[in-house]
Amino acid sequence: MVDALVEIHRVLAPGGTLVDARPDSRVPAYAERRKPRGFQRFGVVKTSRLELANDRASDRAITRVVRDGLFKRRRNGRFWHRVPFSDLAELRKYLSEHLRFVHRAEWVVDAATRKRHSNDQFVIRRAVRYGLLEALRSPRNISPARPD
Amino acid sequence: MSRVAQDSVGDLGMRVPAQSSALRPRPHDELREWGGSSLVRRKRVLDLGCGDGRLALGVAAFATRVEGLDPDPEVIANAKRNARKAGVRNVRFAAGAAQRLPYPDAAFDLVILSWTL
Repeated sequence: MVDALVEIHRVLAPGGTLVDARPDSRVPAYAERRKPRGFQRFGVVKTSRLELANDRASDRAITRVVRDGLFKRRRNGRFWHRVPFSDLAELRKYLSEHLRFVHRAEWVVDAATRKRHSNDQFVIRRAVRYGLLEALRSPRNISPARPD
Repeated sequence: MSRVAQDSVGDLGMRVPAQSSALRPRPHDELREWGGSSLVRRKRVLDLGCGDGRLALGVAAFATRVEGLDPDPEVIANAKRNARKAGVRNVRFAAGAAQRLPYPDAAFDLVILSWTL
């Protein structure tokens, strides 16, 4: 990852911007039922252990190129994104296929409630984080490569 | 973290693959969150890990030119098809790795890693 970030620094003009945007695995996602007004939380969807490790490696890579003076952090933020499903079965299938999430939600409502509303529309509400980094003219020093 | 990007795909659910970029935020929603179109306006933009070109094509209207790079030649073929379909002319797609970018030094004003790193 650091190699890629060094390459990005090379192709960016000085003062140029790198946008790093990805799902925020530090915040759980939620399975929610769409109501006429608003949403009802049905479950919590956690990120898979592998993806958590990948995200931490990405964070370390960013930290390193900032420390090495290739980039300067300009702004960070986070927003919510909703992925819609026409019913609970579709949401379950999505989870079963999805690589990023664990394959089952932790339900916060009982089985009878899930069954009663299984034909309602659902969403997965997930956090997306982004960081804007400014490419600096010349790095202070590049620390020796370490495994990410 | 109070804002919610609008639903990106209407009533799409499992009819598209779980990894499909169609289930991600709309490009304009993402761009708005990052600071708005001024971030890309009249800029030379590189979308790394561009996939089927969702974001590259989404920001092309604002940018001077956009390059999309992805290691998967199959999705690059899709991206090219999508660009032709959309009639977007200032976007080019190529297959390649982020560790060895096929561009000269200082070629871009903005590099986007959207759901890539």
